[in-house]
Amino acid sequence: MTRTSHLTSDWAACCWIPQFALRSELARRPELASLPVALLAPDTASTPRVWQVAPLARRAGVKPGMTVSQAIGLCPALKLCEPDPVHYDEQFSQLVTALVTVSPVVEPVELGRVYVGTDGLEGLYGAPEEIVEEIQMRSAECGMRNFSEGSFASPNSHLHSALRIPHSAFRVGWGKGKFVSWVAATRARPGSAVIVRSGEERKFLASQRLAVLPLDPDTHRRLLQLGVKTLGALVALPEEAVVSQFGRAGRRLWRLAAGLVSEPVVGRSVPEPIVAALTFFTPVGERDLLAHALDKLVDRALADPRRSGWRVQVVRAHAELEHGASWLAAATLKDPSAMRERIAAPLKTQLERSPPVGAVERLVIEFTAFVPGTAELQLFARDAGAAARAGRRRALQNAAREIALRIRRPMLYHVIEVQPWSRLPERRYALIDFEP
Amino acid sequence: MRNGPDRLRALNTQKRVEVELDEHGVPVVVTRETGTEKRIESVGETWRIDDEWWRMPIVRRYVEVILEGGGRLVLFEDLMTGEWFAQMPT
Repeated sequence: MTRTSHLTSDWAACCWIPQFALRSELARRPELASLPVALLAPDTASTPRVWQVAPLARRAGVKPGMTVSQAIGLCPALKLCEPDPVHYDEQFSQLVTALVTVSPVVEPVELGRVYVGTDGLEGLYGAPEEIVEEIQMRSAECGMRNFSEGSFASPNSHLHSALRIPHSAFRVGWGKGKFVSWVAATRARPGSAVIVRSGEERKFLASQRLAVLPLDPDTHRRLLQLGVKTLGALVALPEEAVVSQFGRAGRRLWRLAAGLVSEPVVGRSVPEPIVAALTFFTPVGERDLLAHALDKLVDRALADPRRSGWRVQVVRAHAELEHGASWLAAATLKDPSAMRERIAAPLKTQLERSPPVGAVERLVIEFTAFVPGTAELQLFARDAGAAARAGRRRALQNAAREIALRIRRPMLYHVIEVQPWSRLPERRYALIDFEP
Repeated sequence: MRNGPDRLRALNTQKRVEVELDEHGVPVVVTRETGTEKRIESVGETWRIDDEWWRMPIVRRYVEVILEGGGRLVLFEDLMTGEWFAQMPT
Protein backbone atom coordinates (compact mmCIF):
# COMPACT_ATOMS: atom_id res chain seq x y z
CA MET A 1 0.00 0.00 0.00
CA THR A 2 1.46 3.37 -0.93
CA ARG A 3 0.61 6.67 0.59
CA THR A 4 -0.26 9.34 -1.92
CA SER A 5 -0.16 12.95 -0.90
CA HIS A 6 -1.45 15.23 -3.62
CA LEU A 7 -3.86 17.27 -1.57
CA THR A 8 -2.75 20.81 -2.35
CA SER A 9 -4.24 24.27 -2.24
CA ASP A 10 -2.93 27.56 -3.64
CA TRP A 11 -4.96 29.69 -1.26
CA ALA A 12 -4.06 29.35 2.35
CA ALA A 13 -5.30 30.33 5.77
CA CYS A 14 -2.46 30.40 8.26
CA CYS A 15 -3.70 29.69 11.79
CA TRP A 16 -1.29 30.82 14.44
CA ILE A 17 -1.22 30.77 18.22
CA PRO A 18 2.10 32.29 19.27
CA GLN A 19 3.87 30.69 22.23
CA PHE A 20 1.54 27.74 21.96
CA ALA A 21 3.30 25.64 24.56
CA LEU A 22 3.26 28.37 27.19
CA ARG A 23 -0.39 29.16 26.48
CA SER A 24 -1.21 25.44 26.77
CA GLU A 25 0.44 25.46 30.18
CA LEU A 26 -1.44 28.58 31.29
CA ALA A 27 -4.74 27.20 30.00
CA ARG A 28 -4.15 24.12 32.12
CA ARG A 29 -2.91 26.02 35.17
CA PRO A 30 -4.72 29.37 35.25
CA GLU A 31 -3.21 30.19 38.64
CA LEU A 32 0.05 30.92 36.80
CA ALA A 33 -1.49 33.65 34.65
CA SER A 34 -0.62 36.46 37.04
CA LEU A 35 2.96 35.29 37.66
CA PRO A 36 6.18 35.87 35.75
CA VAL A 37 6.36 32.46 34.12
CA ALA A 38 8.84 30.83 31.79
CA LEU A 39 8.90 27.36 30.28
CA LEU A 40 12.12 25.40 30.17
CA ALA A 41 13.15 24.00 26.80
CA PRO A 42 12.00 20.43 26.24
CA ASP A 43 15.28 19.07 24.92
CA THR A 44 17.56 16.95 27.06
CA ALA A 45 20.60 19.24 27.09
CA SER A 46 22.48 19.24 30.37
CA THR A 47 22.10 22.98 30.85
CA PRO A 48 18.41 23.81 30.82
CA ARG A 49 17.49 26.94 28.95
CA VAL A 50 14.46 29.13 28.90
CA TRP A 51 12.16 28.33 25.99
CA GLN A 52 9.03 30.50 26.13
CA VAL A 53 8.54 33.53 28.33
CA ALA A 54 5.35 35.17 29.61
CA PRO A 55 5.07 38.96 29.30
CA LEU A 56 5.61 39.68 33.01
CA ALA A 57 8.91 37.81 32.91
CA ARG A 58 9.80 39.37 29.56
CA ARG A 59 9.34 42.81 31.06
CA ALA A 60 11.90 41.85 33.69
CA GLY A 61 14.35 41.09 30.90
CA VAL A 62 14.01 37.31 30.64
CA LYS A 63 14.47 36.09 27.08
CA PRO A 64 14.26 32.70 25.36
CA GLY A 65 17.60 30.90 25.24
CA MET A 66 18.83 32.27 28.57
CA THR A 67 20.21 29.88 31.15
CA VAL A 68 18.26 29.43 34.35
CA SER A 69 20.81 31.42 36.33
CA GLN A 70 20.64 34.34 33.90
CA ALA A 71 16.84 34.31 34.01
CA ILE A 72 16.66 34.08 37.81
CA GLY A 73 19.26 36.82 38.08
CA LEU A 74 17.02 39.16 36.09
CA CYS A 75 13.73 38.08 37.62
CA PRO A 76 14.09 36.55 41.10
CA ALA A 77 10.35 35.82 41.32
CA LEU A 78 10.42 33.86 38.06
CA LYS A 79 8.26 30.73 38.09
CA LEU A 80 9.98 28.13 35.95
CA CYS A 81 7.86 25.33 34.57
CA GLU A 82 8.96 21.94 33.35
CA PRO A 83 7.73 21.50 29.80
CA ASP A 84 5.15 18.84 29.00
CA PRO A 85 5.59 18.36 25.24
CA VAL A 86 3.17 15.47 25.15
CA HIS A 87 0.39 17.67 26.49
CA TYR A 88 1.20 20.46 24.02
CA ASP A 89 1.28 17.95 21.20
CA GLU A 90 -2.12 16.64 22.23
CA GLN A 91 -3.57 20.13 22.42
CA PHE A 92 -2.22 20.97 18.99
CA SER A 93 -3.60 17.73 17.59
CA GLN A 94 -7.04 18.78 18.75
CA LEU A 95 -6.70 22.00 16.79
CA VAL A 96 -5.47 20.17 13.68
CA THR A 97 -8.31 17.66 13.97
CA ALA A 98 -10.84 20.49 14.22
CA LEU A 99 -9.37 22.20 11.16
CA VAL A 100 -9.59 18.99 9.14
CA THR A 101 -13.35 19.34 9.48
CA VAL A 102 -13.13 22.66 7.61
CA SER A 103 -10.80 21.55 4.82
CA PRO A 104 -9.14 18.26 3.88
CA VAL A 105 -5.94 20.13 3.06
CA VAL A 106 -4.25 20.85 6.38
CA GLU A 107 -0.51 21.22 6.86
CA PRO A 108 0.79 21.48 10.43
CA VAL A 109 4.17 23.20 10.47
CA GLU A 110 5.14 23.65 14.10
CA LEU A 111 3.40 23.81 17.44
CA GLY A 112 0.81 26.55 17.14
CA ARG A 113 1.11 27.09 13.37
CA VAL A 114 -0.92 25.25 10.80
CA TYR A 115 -1.93 26.05 7.22
CA VAL A 116 -5.41 25.28 5.96
CA GLY A 117 -5.89 25.01 2.20
CA THR A 118 -8.98 26.95 1.19
CA ASP A 119 -9.24 26.28 -2.56
CA GLY A 120 -12.82 25.45 -3.41
CA LEU A 121 -14.21 26.25 0.04
CA GLU A 122 -16.07 29.29 -1.31
CA GLY A 123 -18.77 26.92 -2.52
CA LEU A 124 -19.26 25.66 1.02
CA TYR A 125 -18.77 28.75 3.14
CA GLY A 126 -18.71 31.77 0.82
CA ALA A 127 -16.22 34.66 0.78
CA PRO A 128 -12.82 34.46 2.54
CA GLU A 129 -14.32 36.20 5.56
CA GLU A 130 -16.81 33.37 5.95
CA ILE A 131 -14.11 30.73 5.51
CA VAL A 132 -12.01 32.40 8.17
CA GLU A 133 -15.03 32.69 10.44
CA GLU A 134 -15.65 28.95 10.07
CA ILE A 135 -12.01 28.26 10.95
CA GLN A 136 -12.24 30.48 14.02
CA MET A 137 -15.46 28.83 15.16
CA ARG A 138 -14.06 25.34 14.80
CA SER A 139 -10.91 26.29 16.65
CA ALA A 140 -12.93 27.84 19.46
CA GLU A 141 -15.12 24.74 19.69
CA CYS A 142 -12.11 22.48 20.10
CA GLY A 143 -10.87 24.37 23.13
CA MET A 144 -8.61 27.03 21.65
CA ARG A 145 -10.95 29.60 23.18
CA ASN A 146 -9.18 28.76 26.43
CA PHE A 147 -5.91 29.92 24.92
CA SER A 148 -6.66 33.38 26.07
CA GLU A 149 -4.68 36.44 25.22
CA GLY A 150 -4.96 37.55 28.86
CA SER A 151 -1.73 39.09 30.00
CA PHE A 152 -0.25 38.54 26.55
CA ALA A 153 -2.41 41.33 25.09
CA SER A 154 -0.58 44.08 23.31
CA PRO A 155 -2.09 47.54 23.52
CA ASN A 156 -0.90 48.68 20.09
CA SER A 157 -2.13 46.06 17.69
CA HIS A 158 -3.04 47.25 14.23
CA LEU A 159 -4.10 46.55 10.67
CA HIS A 160 -7.26 45.72 8.84
CA SER A 161 -8.81 42.86 10.78
CA ALA A 162 -11.76 41.02 9.37
CA LEU A 163 -13.24 39.33 12.41
CA ARG A 164 -12.56 39.11 16.08
CA ILE A 165 -13.05 36.59 18.86
CA PRO A 166 -12.52 38.54 22.10
CA HIS A 167 -9.72 37.35 24.39
CA SER A 168 -8.56 34.58 22.05
CA ALA A 169 -4.92 34.22 21.10
CA PHE A 170 -5.86 32.60 17.79
CA ARG A 171 -4.75 34.59 14.75
CA VAL A 172 -5.56 33.88 11.12
CA GLY A 173 -3.96 35.19 7.95
CA TRP A 174 -5.51 34.47 4.57
CA GLY A 175 -3.81 34.91 1.23
CA LYS A 176 -2.29 33.27 -1.81
CA GLY A 177 0.40 30.80 -0.79
CA LYS A 178 1.87 29.99 2.58
CA PHE A 179 4.21 32.99 2.85
CA VAL A 180 1.60 35.68 2.31
CA SER A 181 -0.85 33.96 4.66
CA TRP A 182 1.85 33.56 7.32
CA VAL A 183 2.83 37.22 7.15
CA ALA A 184 -0.86 38.15 7.31
CA ALA A 185 -1.28 35.97 10.43
CA THR A 186 1.64 37.74 12.09
CA ARG A 187 -0.07 41.08 11.43
CA ALA A 188 -3.45 39.96 12.76
CA ARG A 189 -4.60 41.08 16.17
CA PRO A 190 -5.25 38.33 18.73
CA GLY A 191 -8.54 36.63 17.95
CA SER A 192 -8.70 38.34 14.55
CA ALA A 193 -7.81 37.75 10.92
CA VAL A 194 -6.08 39.64 8.16
CA ILE A 195 -7.18 38.90 4.62
CA VAL A 196 -4.94 39.68 1.66
CA ARG A 197 -7.02 39.55 -1.53
CA SER A 198 -5.83 38.47 -4.92
CA GLY A 199 -3.64 41.15 -6.51
CA GLU A 200 -2.95 42.91 -3.19
CA GLU A 201 -0.02 40.73 -2.21
CA ARG A 202 2.78 43.03 -3.36
CA LYS A 203 1.24 46.11 -1.76
CA PHE A 204 0.61 44.24 1.47
CA LEU A 205 4.11 42.80 1.63
CA ALA A 206 5.87 46.07 0.74
CA SER A 207 5.33 47.62 4.16
CA GLN A 208 6.34 44.52 6.13
CA ARG A 209 9.58 44.39 8.02
CA LEU A 210 12.47 42.33 6.79
CA ALA A 211 12.18 39.96 9.75
CA VAL A 212 9.15 38.22 8.20
CA LEU A 213 11.47 36.68 5.59
CA PRO A 214 13.21 33.38 6.36
CA LEU A 215 16.61 35.04 6.79
CA ASP A 216 19.75 33.83 8.45
CA PRO A 217 21.15 36.38 10.93
CA ASP A 218 24.09 37.27 8.70
CA THR A 219 21.92 38.09 5.67
CA HIS A 220 19.56 40.03 7.91
CA ARG A 221 22.43 42.09 9.28
CA ARG A 222 23.88 42.74 5.82
CA LEU A 223 20.54 43.87 4.43
CA LEU A 224 20.03 46.23 7.37
CA GLN A 225 23.51 47.64 6.80
CA LEU A 226 22.49 48.30 3.19
CA GLY A 227 19.54 50.29 4.50
CA VAL A 228 16.97 47.67 3.51
CA LYS A 229 14.40 47.55 6.30
CA THR A 230 11.20 46.51 4.56
CA LEU A 231 10.23 44.06 1.86
CA GLY A 232 9.30 47.04 -0.31
CA ALA A 233 12.85 48.37 -0.01
CA LEU A 234 14.21 44.95 -0.96
CA VAL A 235 11.97 44.71 -4.01
CA ALA A 236 13.01 48.23 -5.04
CA LEU A 237 16.49 46.82 -5.65
CA PRO A 238 17.06 45.09 -8.98
CA GLU A 239 16.55 41.36 -8.59
CA GLU A 240 19.91 40.62 -10.25
CA ALA A 241 21.72 42.93 -7.81
CA VAL A 242 20.25 41.01 -4.87
CA VAL A 243 21.23 37.72 -6.53
CA SER A 244 24.79 38.90 -7.10
CA GLN A 245 25.07 39.80 -3.40
CA PHE A 246 23.25 36.87 -1.81
CA GLY A 247 23.26 34.15 -4.47
CA ARG A 248 20.39 31.75 -4.99
CA ALA A 249 18.99 32.47 -1.51
CA GLY A 250 18.85 36.16 -2.52
CA ARG A 251 16.70 35.37 -5.54
CA ARG A 252 14.25 33.44 -3.39
CA LEU A 253 14.11 36.26 -0.82
CA TRP A 254 13.53 38.87 -3.53
CA ARG A 255 10.77 36.79 -5.10
CA LEU A 256 9.10 36.13 -1.76
CA ALA A 257 9.21 39.84 -0.97
CA ALA A 258 7.73 40.65 -4.36
CA GLY A 259 4.88 38.21 -3.80
CA LEU A 260 6.01 36.14 -6.78
CA VAL A 261 6.47 32.93 -4.81
CA SER A 262 3.30 31.16 -3.87
CA GLU A 263 3.93 27.85 -2.17
CA PRO A 264 0.78 25.76 -1.94
CA VAL A 265 -0.50 24.12 1.20
CA VAL A 266 0.21 20.40 0.99
CA GLY A 267 -2.13 18.20 2.95
CA ARG A 268 -1.50 14.64 3.96
CA SER A 269 -3.83 11.89 3.01
CA VAL A 270 -4.92 9.74 5.93
CA PRO A 271 -3.20 6.35 5.89
CA GLU A 272 -5.06 3.28 4.81
CA PRO A 273 -5.88 0.90 7.66
CA ILE A 274 -2.77 -0.66 9.18
CA VAL A 275 -3.01 -4.34 9.95
CA ALA A 276 -0.80 -6.66 12.00
CA ALA A 277 -1.63 -10.34 12.37
CA LEU A 278 -0.33 -13.35 14.23
CA THR A 279 -1.09 -17.01 13.52
CA PHE A 280 -0.50 -19.27 16.50
CA PHE A 281 1.24 -22.64 16.06
CA THR A 282 -1.37 -24.20 18.28
CA PRO A 283 -4.68 -22.54 19.20
CA VAL A 284 -4.39 -20.36 22.32
CA GLY A 285 -7.05 -20.08 24.96
CA GLU A 286 -5.17 -18.47 27.88
CA ARG A 287 -6.17 -14.84 28.32
CA ASP A 288 -2.74 -13.79 29.54
CA LEU A 289 -1.17 -15.09 26.37
CA LEU A 290 -3.79 -13.38 24.23
CA ALA A 291 -3.29 -10.09 26.10
CA HIS A 292 0.45 -10.40 25.53
CA ALA A 293 -0.15 -11.09 21.84
CA LEU A 294 -2.39 -7.99 21.64
CA ASP A 295 0.47 -5.89 23.03
CA LYS A 296 2.91 -7.29 20.51
CA LEU A 297 0.56 -6.74 17.59
CA VAL A 298 -0.19 -3.16 18.65
CA ASP A 299 3.55 -2.55 18.87
CA ARG A 300 4.04 -3.99 15.40
CA ALA A 301 1.24 -1.89 13.91
CA LEU A 302 2.55 1.24 15.62
CA ALA A 303 5.96 0.62 14.08
CA ASP A 304 4.51 0.71 10.57
CA PRO A 305 6.12 3.71 8.81
CA ARG A 306 2.75 4.78 7.41
CA ARG A 307 1.63 5.46 10.96
CA SER A 308 4.36 8.05 11.50
CA GLY A 309 2.81 11.45 12.15
CA TRP A 310 -0.60 10.01 12.96
CA ARG A 311 -2.29 8.92 16.13
CA VAL A 312 -4.65 6.04 16.30
CA GLN A 313 -8.29 6.83 16.91
CA VAL A 314 -10.04 3.57 16.14
CA VAL A 315 -8.58 0.13 16.77
CA ARG A 316 -10.12 -3.28 16.11
CA ALA A 317 -8.99 -6.72 17.19
CA HIS A 318 -10.47 -9.81 15.68
CA ALA A 319 -9.68 -13.44 16.19
CA GLU A 320 -10.31 -16.55 14.17
CA LEU A 321 -11.27 -19.34 16.54
CA GLU A 322 -11.22 -23.08 16.31
CA HIS A 323 -14.17 -24.59 14.49
CA GLY A 324 -14.70 -21.48 12.37
CA ALA A 325 -16.03 -19.12 15.07
CA SER A 326 -14.71 -15.59 15.54
CA TRP A 327 -14.26 -12.88 18.14
CA LEU A 328 -14.23 -9.11 17.67
CA ALA A 329 -13.32 -6.17 19.88
CA ALA A 330 -13.25 -2.55 18.76
CA ALA A 331 -12.53 0.73 20.50
CA THR A 332 -12.67 4.40 19.61
CA LEU A 333 -10.13 6.28 21.68
CA LYS A 334 -11.44 9.47 23.21
CA ASP A 335 -7.87 10.74 23.24
CA PRO A 336 -6.21 9.43 20.09
CA SER A 337 -2.85 8.01 20.95
CA ALA A 338 0.29 6.36 19.65
CA MET A 339 1.06 4.63 22.93
CA ARG A 340 0.71 0.90 23.09
CA GLU A 341 -0.74 0.89 26.61
CA ARG A 342 -3.51 3.32 25.73
CA ILE A 343 -4.45 1.58 22.52
CA ALA A 344 -4.34 -1.94 23.91
CA ALA A 345 -6.12 -1.16 27.21
CA PRO A 346 -9.73 -1.09 25.88
CA LEU A 347 -9.10 -4.25 23.86
CA LYS A 348 -7.78 -6.04 26.95
CA THR A 349 -10.80 -4.88 28.93
CA GLN A 350 -13.08 -6.40 26.31
CA LEU A 351 -10.95 -9.55 26.32
CA GLU A 352 -11.57 -9.85 30.07
CA ARG A 353 -15.27 -9.04 29.93
CA SER A 354 -16.24 -11.10 26.91
CA PRO A 355 -13.42 -13.47 25.99
CA PRO A 356 -13.41 -15.59 22.84
CA VAL A 357 -15.63 -18.65 23.14
CA GLY A 358 -12.87 -20.95 21.91
CA ALA A 359 -9.15 -21.14 21.38
CA VAL A 360 -7.68 -18.53 19.03
CA GLU A 361 -5.91 -19.65 15.87
CA ARG A 362 -5.20 -16.22 14.41
CA LEU A 363 -5.27 -12.77 15.99
CA VAL A 364 -5.43 -9.54 13.96
CA ILE A 365 -5.05 -5.91 15.03
CA GLU A 366 -6.27 -3.17 12.74
CA PHE A 367 -5.92 0.61 13.07
CA THR A 368 -8.76 2.01 11.03
CA ALA A 369 -8.92 5.73 11.84
CA PHE A 370 -6.23 8.27 12.58
CA VAL A 371 -5.80 11.87 13.62
CA PRO A 372 -2.74 13.90 12.74
CA GLY A 373 0.16 14.56 15.07
CA THR A 374 2.37 17.63 14.82
CA ALA A 375 5.32 18.01 12.52
CA GLU A 376 7.45 19.66 15.19
CA LEU A 377 7.29 17.35 18.14
CA GLN A 378 5.64 14.10 17.25
CA LEU A 379 7.00 12.60 20.38
CA PHE A 380 5.02 9.48 19.82
CA ALA A 381 5.70 9.13 16.18
CA ARG A 382 9.35 9.92 15.70
CA ASP A 383 10.89 6.69 16.85
CA ALA A 384 10.61 3.96 19.40
CA GLY A 385 12.89 5.83 21.82
CA ALA A 386 10.67 8.88 21.71
CA ALA A 387 7.63 6.72 22.31
CA ALA A 388 9.38 5.12 25.27
CA ARG A 389 10.22 8.55 26.70
CA ALA A 390 6.60 9.59 26.32
CA GLY A 391 5.52 6.40 28.05
CA ARG A 392 7.94 7.01 30.91
CA ARG A 393 6.63 10.54 31.29
CA ARG A 394 3.07 9.21 31.54
CA ALA A 395 4.15 6.71 34.17
CA LEU A 396 5.90 9.50 36.04
CA GLN A 397 2.79 11.66 35.87
CA ASN A 398 0.72 8.91 37.41
CA ALA A 399 3.33 8.31 40.12
CA ALA A 400 3.52 12.04 40.88
CA ARG A 401 -0.25 12.24 41.16
CA GLU A 402 -0.24 9.27 43.50
CA ILE A 403 2.43 10.84 45.70
CA ALA A 404 0.64 14.18 45.78
CA LEU A 405 -2.58 12.44 46.82
CA ARG A 406 -0.89 10.54 49.61
CA ILE A 407 1.30 13.17 51.19
CA ARG A 408 -0.48 16.29 49.96
CA ARG A 409 2.60 18.19 48.94
CA PRO A 410 4.93 17.98 46.00
CA MET A 411 7.91 15.79 46.72
CA LEU A 412 9.36 15.37 43.26
CA TYR A 413 12.10 17.66 42.12
CA HIS A 414 14.28 18.05 39.10
CA VAL A 415 17.97 18.89 39.60
CA ILE A 416 19.05 21.71 37.31
CA GLU A 417 22.36 23.40 36.79
CA VAL A 418 22.31 27.00 37.95
CA GLN A 419 25.95 28.08 38.01
CA PRO A 420 27.85 24.84 37.52
CA TRP A 421 31.08 26.77 37.15
CA SER A 422 30.71 28.51 40.52
CA ARG A 423 33.42 28.00 43.11
CA LEU A 424 30.71 28.09 45.77
CA PRO A 425 29.16 24.61 45.92
CA GLU A 426 25.72 25.86 46.99
CA ARG A 427 25.43 27.95 43.85
CA ARG A 428 26.00 25.14 41.36
CA TYR A 429 22.77 23.13 41.37
CA ALA A 430 19.22 23.65 42.50
CA LEU A 431 15.97 21.77 42.79
CA ILE A 432 12.89 22.80 40.91
CA ASP A 433 9.43 21.35 41.52
CA PHE A 434 8.94 18.53 39.10
CA GLU A 435 5.48 18.65 37.61
CA PRO A 436 5.40 16.01 34.92
CA MET B 1 18.82 31.42 46.59
CA ARG B 2 15.30 31.22 47.95
CA ASN B 3 13.67 28.28 49.65
CA GLY B 4 9.96 28.93 49.32
CA PRO B 5 7.51 26.68 47.53
CA ASP B 6 7.48 26.88 43.70
CA ARG B 7 10.97 28.28 43.77
CA LEU B 8 14.44 27.09 43.07
CA ARG B 9 15.90 25.31 46.06
CA ALA B 10 19.66 25.40 46.24
CA LEU B 11 21.35 22.05 46.60
CA ASN B 12 24.18 21.50 49.05
CA THR B 13 23.53 24.57 51.13
CA GLN B 14 25.93 25.02 54.00
CA LYS B 15 24.92 23.93 57.51
CA ARG B 16 26.19 25.76 60.57
CA VAL B 17 28.55 23.67 62.73
CA GLU B 18 30.82 24.18 65.70
CA VAL B 19 34.43 23.20 65.09
CA GLU B 20 37.09 22.56 67.69
CA LEU B 21 40.61 23.35 66.49
CA ASP B 22 44.00 22.14 67.67
CA GLU B 23 46.93 24.42 68.43
CA HIS B 24 47.75 24.64 64.69
CA GLY B 25 44.25 25.69 63.69
CA VAL B 26 43.41 22.25 62.30
CA PRO B 27 39.86 20.98 62.97
CA VAL B 28 39.70 18.04 65.38
CA VAL B 29 36.03 17.85 66.39
CA VAL B 30 32.89 18.94 64.54
CA THR B 31 29.51 19.40 66.21
CA ARG B 32 26.37 19.75 64.18
CA GLU B 33 23.43 21.98 65.16
CA THR B 34 21.59 18.85 66.29
CA GLY B 35 24.30 18.33 68.88
CA THR B 36 25.87 15.33 67.16
CA GLU B 37 29.59 15.44 67.78
CA LYS B 38 32.13 13.69 65.53
CA ARG B 39 35.88 13.41 65.91
CA ILE B 40 37.91 14.12 62.80
CA GLU B 41 40.13 11.22 61.81
CA SER B 42 42.16 12.98 59.17
CA VAL B 43 42.35 16.21 57.23
CA GLY B 44 42.72 16.15 53.47
CA GLU B 45 42.92 18.99 51.05
CA THR B 46 42.56 22.61 52.15
CA TRP B 47 41.88 25.60 49.93
CA ARG B 48 40.73 29.19 50.09
CA ILE B 49 38.11 31.10 48.13
CA ASP B 50 38.01 34.85 47.69
CA ASP B 51 34.99 35.83 45.65
CA GLU B 52 32.51 38.62 45.00
CA TRP B 53 34.90 41.20 46.38
CA TRP B 54 32.97 43.80 44.40
CA ARG B 55 29.78 43.48 46.48
CA MET B 56 29.56 41.23 49.60
CA PRO B 57 33.01 39.70 49.79
CA ILE B 58 33.05 35.95 50.30
CA VAL B 59 36.23 34.68 51.93
CA ARG B 60 36.31 31.04 52.97
CA ARG B 61 38.89 28.55 54.13
CA TYR B 62 37.84 25.07 53.08
CA VAL B 63 39.02 21.85 54.74
CA GLU B 64 38.12 18.40 53.51
CA VAL B 65 37.95 15.96 56.41
CA ILE B 66 37.34 12.28 57.12
CA LEU B 67 35.20 11.75 60.20
CA GLU B 68 35.52 8.87 62.62
CA GLY B 69 33.62 6.01 61.09
CA GLY B 70 34.68 7.00 57.57
CA GLY B 71 32.31 9.78 56.50
CA ARG B 72 33.66 12.53 54.27
CA LEU B 73 32.75 16.13 54.88
CA VAL B 74 33.82 19.54 53.67
CA LEU B 75 34.11 22.21 56.34
CA PHE B 76 34.69 25.85 55.71
CA GLU B 77 35.40 28.80 57.91
CA ASP B 78 33.81 32.07 56.87
CA LEU B 79 36.81 34.32 57.37
CA MET B 80 34.59 37.40 57.43
CA THR B 81 32.65 36.20 60.48
CA GLY B 82 34.70 33.36 61.92
CA GLU B 83 31.76 30.94 61.68
CA TRP B 84 32.15 27.34 60.53
CA PHE B 85 29.89 25.51 58.11
CA ALA B 86 29.68 22.02 56.67
CA GLN B 87 28.87 20.97 53.12
CA MET B 88 28.75 17.70 51.29
CA PRO B 89 31.85 16.94 49.23
CA THR B 90 31.36 17.30 45.47
